[in-house]
Amino acid sequence: MKKYILYFTGIALLGISVSSCKKYLDINQSPNSAENPDPKLLFSNASTQYINLRSGGDMYIPMGLAGQFMADGGNNPNAWGAPSAQEYTFSVFNYNNSWNTYYLSAGTNLKQAIKLSEDATPKNNNAAAQCKVLLAQVAYELTTVFGDVPFSEAWRADISYPKFDAQKDVFLGINALLDEALAQFDEASPLKITDYDLFYKGDIPKWKRLARSLKLRVLMTMVDKDPTQAAAIGQLITAGGLVNSSADNCKIAYQNVAGRKNPKFSLSEQYNGGQSFFFASKYVTDFMRPLNDPRLPVFFTKPVLADNYYGIQPGEDGDDDHDARFSSTLHSATDPEVIYSYQEQLFFEAEIQARGLGVPVNLVAANTLYKKAVEESCKFYGISSGNATTFAAGLPDLTAVIDPVKLIHYHHWVDLIDRGVDAFTQWRRSGPDGGEVPLLALPVGAPAGPLFRRYEYPSTNELSVNPNAPAKVLFNVKMWFDL
Amino acid sequence: MKKILLLVLLFLPAVAILAQSRTITGKVTGPDGKPISFATITIKGTSTAISADVNGDFSIQAPPRSVLVFSATSFQPVEINIGNQATVNAVLNARDALTEVVVTALGISRTQKSLGYSASTIKSEELLKARETNVINSLAGKAAGVRITSQSGTVGGSSKIIIRGVNSVNNTTVNGNGQPIFVIDGLPIDNSAQQINTVNSAVNQGTSGADFGNRAGDINPDDIETITVLKGASATALYGARAKDGAIIITTKKGKKGQTSVTFNLSTRFDNALKLPSFQNEYAQGNQGTYNIASTNGWGPKISDVKDKTFTDFLGRQVTLQAFPDNVKDFYRTGKTNIYSVSFEGGGEGTDYRFGYTNTTQSGIIPGEKLNKSAVNFNAGRNILKGLDIRTNISYTRVFADGRPVESSNNPNVLQSIMLTIPRTVNIQDVKDNYVDPITKQQITLTPGRTGNNPYWIINNNKFSNTVDRIYGNAVITYNPVKWLTISDNIGTDFYNEFRKGVTRPGTIGALTGNFFTANLYNRIINNDLIVTANTKLTKDIELKVIAGHNIFEAQYRREQSDAQSLTVDGLYSFSNAGTVSTTNLFNKRRLVGVFGDMGLSYKDFLFLNITGRNDWSSTLPKGNNSYFYPSVSSSFVFSELVRNIKWLSYGKLRASWANVGSDAAPYALSFAYLPVATSFAQYGFGSQFPFNGVIAFTAPGILPNANLKPQNQTSYEIGTEMKFLKNRISLDVTYYNSETKDQIINLLVPQSTGFTSQTVNAGSVINKGIEVTLGVTPVKTKDFAWGVDVNFSKNKQTVRLPGAVKSYVLQSGWSGLQIKTRDGEPFAIWGTAWMRDPDGNIVIDPNTGLRRTVNDQKIGDIFPDWMMGINNTLNYKNLSLSFLVDIRQGGYMFSNTSSTLRTQGLGKETAENRGNIFIDKGVIFDQATNKYITNTVPVQSMQDFWGQFITTNTEGSIYNASYAKLREVRIAYRLPSSFLSNKLKFIKGLEVGLEGRNLWIIKSHVPHVDPEVNFFGSASLGEGVEFNSVPSTRSYGVNLRIKL
Repeated sequence: MKKYILYFTGIALLGISVSSCKKYLDINQSPNSAENPDPKLLFSNASTQYINLRSGGDMYIPMGLAGQFMADGGNNPNAWGAPSAQEYTFSVFNYNNSWNTYYLSAGTNLKQAIKLSEDATPKNNNAAAQCKVLLAQVAYELTTVFGDVPFSEAWRADISYPKFDAQKDVFLGINALLDEALAQFDEASPLKITDYDLFYKGDIPKWKRLARSLKLRVLMTMVDKDPTQAAAIGQLITAGGLVNSSADNCKIAYQNVAGRKNPKFSLSEQYNGGQSFFFASKYVTDFMRPLNDPRLPVFFTKPVLADNYYGIQPGEDGDDDHDARFSSTLHSATDPEVIYSYQEQLFFEAEIQARGLGVPVNLVAANTLYKKAVEESCKFYGISSGNATTFAAGLPDLTAVIDPVKLIHYHHWVDLIDRGVDAFTQWRRSGPDGGEVPLLALPVGAPAGPLFRRYEYPSTNELSVNPNAPAKVLFNVKMWFDL
Repeated sequence: MKKILLLVLLFLPAVAILAQSRTITGKVTGPDGKPISFATITIKGTSTAISADVNGDFSIQAPPRSVLVFSATSFQPVEINIGNQATVNAVLNARDALTEVVVTALGISRTQKSLGYSASTIKSEELLKARETNVINSLAGKAAGVRITSQSGTVGGSSKIIIRGVNSVNNTTVNGNGQPIFVIDGLPIDNSAQQINTVNSAVNQGTSGADFGNRAGDINPDDIETITVLKGASATALYGARAKDGAIIITTKKGKKGQTSVTFNLSTRFDNALKLPSFQNEYAQGNQGTYNIASTNGWGPKISDVKDKTFTDFLGRQVTLQAFPDNVKDFYRTGKTNIYSVSFEGGGEGTDYRFGYTNTTQSGIIPGEKLNKSAVNFNAGRNILKGLDIRTNISYTRVFADGRPVESSNNPNVLQSIMLTIPRTVNIQDVKDNYVDPITKQQITLTPGRTGNNPYWIINNNKFSNTVDRIYGNAVITYNPVKWLTISDNIGTDFYNEFRKGVTRPGTIGALTGNFFTANLYNRIINNDLIVTANTKLTKDIELKVIAGHNIFEAQYRREQSDAQSLTVDGLYSFSNAGTVSTTNLFNKRRLVGVFGDMGLSYKDFLFLNITGRNDWSSTLPKGNNSYFYPSVSSSFVFSELVRNIKWLSYGKLRASWANVGSDAAPYALSFAYLPVATSFAQYGFGSQFPFNGVIAFTAPGILPNANLKPQNQTSYEIGTEMKFLKNRISLDVTYYNSETKDQIINLLVPQSTGFTSQTVNAGSVINKGIEVTLGVTPVKTKDFAWGVDVNFSKNKQTVRLPGAVKSYVLQSGWSGLQIKTRDGEPFAIWGTAWMRDPDGNIVIDPNTGLRRTVNDQKIGDIFPDWMMGINNTLNYKNLSLSFLVDIRQGGYMFSNTSSTLRTQGLGKETAENRGNIFIDKGVIFDQATNKYITNTVPVQSMQDFWGQFITTNTEGSIYNASYAKLREVRIAYRLPSSFLSNKLKFIKGLEVGLEGRNLWIIKSHVPHVDPEVNFFGSASLGEGVEFNSVPSTRSYGVNLRIKL
């Protein structure tokens, strides 16, 4: 008996320890993740993360407040309140989260999706090119927000400390990336991202037009600092194939379903009983009111007691009996986040004709384009086609105003009221320091010094861990393109 | 309860009657002839047992020729055959270090004298002295080198143990996090504190802001016989990687042969907030001296200045302002805890059993906060064949807790952020009586705006609860085929299911459409140890003991979580009532196979040498790299055996040990894999959930994995001595240790421009050096009176070494730029925004505003203490005993968000000063003309602006020295004399009444408004030193009654 038990135990011990050990330990394959997913799943993630950044509290609100197309309402109890980004009190989260989205949740996923598409057999060229166009757009926004940024050495596992490229090189790199995408698109191939393409549902011709228009926007941002880019602008205009109808608008709409509503709407819905925290800025209303602009009731809600749409000086206390707030028609649950619009294209073209950028100055053509742009903007914001046409036709002709380019810029800026960072970039490129459109004053309550010009580099996510990073740059220091 | 009591009362007198006719009398004394009070005298082989009286005299009925067993605490038991004598005197020798037995790794019992490393043992009496619902807390201040941090005042909240400093710097290791392994009767059990985030963040926020406790809190202190704390790697080498941060070895109570007894322990305890903020009571809410109902602060007018005016209050009434100094204090109530436990134990020849049941009901200081814990334990052993024994031990615990407060941030239910900003003019009774509008059923908020959730709306509606059902147990078969050989197999499992639920009622500001979440967490551990032990005498003086073993360990974790948003029917928390439901799941599993051996040599009982070796194969490391071996050597030398002629030296021992331990990685950390994404973030918490517009999403990993990871490697050594002097009146134990953990598996922060947040690498090392001193002195000892002092002291110095290219390593990110970070050659510290200083260290003031200038990313203060000390005094007079424990921490810094909030909001007491006066901050301004710093003369615009600088983004403004001295425990106990019991109440073997108190008094602290001990990172995190909207910790006091039948 004793012996039997002894032997048995010995055999069992040996058996357990030797024979099945290898197999027993081979369980490190994660059931929670996939090693080779369809690139469309990364593309959908990057697209959604990116638009959420743009319409959320890290980009739309601070850009709108510091960029002064909306007002925090000062000490009004139901307003966003001061001090906020309007008074240049920035949260480090704004810096960190936007950097994080550009490089990680949008950037890395696009970069990996490109790799997966190109490593696939057969190669999925369209998917790779779709990702490259969006990556170019992400990088464009990144550099307009932060200035000099890692680009040529970014998103690479083999480079631990990417160098910061000069903004000009980033811009040129972006256009090279867009050219690469344009060359890679293969309209004949059925391989592409379709249902997971929330922008165009896999319409490759639209993607190609967008890519060219994005190139144009990059050049338009560069041209004041580097006038030699005018030639390239001229070539693009002459060659055509740019965004050419509202059907080409690059946007993603939110859904009127819990958890999928536009963050601008959810903020008011969850915290403020549906009323917007934000007041109209006088820089917007003072321009629109004399025009009797049909978009005013779309953008704003005016108090019952008020006779018209009045905005406030940014930073001032909002008066609930007098001053208009942002409306839930504009910031609706389904309010789309727009990356590029047809009216934006028309404003650029009007500006190109009016300034003669790579083409001869042609105010007549510019006039037609600018009125068409305003008409498209009205229609975009829900004004009926007839009213939009009538309103645009009644606008002053460019030939009749002293500074036609400034007028185009102002309309262009107003159209961007739902696109915080784009409005801010448009304002910075609209003229040299002191000559921007509109001419902004320091917000009430903001510290003395220059106006807001950029986000600061995030300290913990980049500066303190990258030996190649530059020294801290303050929020009121201009970047390369900004004259 | 009553029924059980009745049953027992009916049953017990019968037991007492079993004794037979012959009366034996005698006296129990020590070797010095002094009587030993209350020794237990048992008739061997029966269940008859009695106690001697205070003078050591006893009288027992026993049959002729029976054997009496004399035993007493701290004495070696003695057996005496009474033959036909009528008088038997017993002389007991003190149980000392020579015979003291310590349970070490893998349940191996070894004599204290043979140990080559330091091990602290805490006995059950110590644990039950002043009861804690979380057993970890009762270790505070009791063992050198063991540092306990309670994480919050939440009922059943978590507690963290750090033994000899933090050795590992990876915050994401599943079984790591710097916590020791908990082993109950040889079974390693789970002690996780799972955080389930609904907000994607490095810190606990959103729903994970509620403290759901750590799972070691499920252990029932009443079932514990001893806790041994194994601190160094040589002590834990046989556990390997799992015990790299130490081991807590728990041995549960077993039935004793021949003693059938029933023990009742009844405790009632009361809790209140240990420290509440000091508020100003002069100013109302508003802005720059003007009243504003929309504000929740103290920056309005001086109340005494506006006595003749009326203002609209939050209920719309026109009122005269008045301060309510106790409005925050009155929100908290007195918490109450009842602990009832009963145990039955006994045994016969070859059999023993113990059954224990403990029920704890606890209500917290926050209204609606409650906990109910029931624990059943059964431990039985039997000899089934000659040489073959089986034993089984099973525990079932159920914990239900409701109303757990949400701490931290990014959740509308964070209670402290509301409580800390209640204006002084608010009567809490008004708030309590008016949290819901009787007609509209809508919440009545404290302000008309977005900041004013009513705290009673939160506590009455938005409940966070969890229920844990847990079973752990093991079965041990031991076989002694021949005298020198033992084969035993210990198989055990620990599994639990925890259900969590958190609801936010529609109408809550910040979540006006309502939401809720539920989560099921399932955890299972399976462990098997097969151990063969051989024991033989090589020569007359040399003894050899060889142990060989095999271990299989598996840990599995599974979680399903559903978040529901936008509820239609108010108060119905059903998924079909939600506009959207997002469900996520997670699974991971790790396995470990190990073989080990232990060879022990002893020479003449005073020289000991132990060599151990273990090889592990881990499932979490790369296949070719997954095997690692670790050896240890330890030795002990009882030199007092050689110098017996030195009278004042009762005992002396030197010990030394060395060990090298490896450890593995988290599961699935090797391959580059894409994870499904449930939500896309947008600031203020309103991003999109997937599927979004019909599409789902995956993401690349944020941490770049490393397919070539190596095991982490820890080398440590310790030397020490144990000495006793003057007939054991003085005892001293000193240890010096040094451990270096190399090839740290860390997620090294990389610039995000690489596309990743961090990269998993083997890099850096952590060195912990320190000394531990335990001193016991008995200054007075007379027949009736004894006074004993036990002091333990520990000092640990941590140094982190980083490879050249790495400028710094971030352990944990907090809020607003605060980080727990280190540089090469330094310990971990709080980094963040600091005040700008001139070369002489003066604060630099901005000449435009009179406010302080700031600089980002500065080192502000170390988080770990310089030293810790516990001083325990015990005074015994006859049957009355008094003990009190003082716990001291010296050094280290902490960040207090409470302080920041109270200051920026103008509610802290200090903010009432200087208002309306000209205030010039102490500091310097830069004088452009002379290019020098000169004394500041620029006044601040207002005190509101001045205190506004103390916002959380200015980390240094809320940094404090975290040193403290606390009166941790006080206990007064009275034991009824056994002479009295044996005369008057024969059926009672023992009766003890105690008054107990815990955390009674913060004797010294440098932190205003809060207890310096709280920490929001939670026990699952290595980070500490940050308080963020934590629930106040509690002071408790109560009574305890223990009856042994």
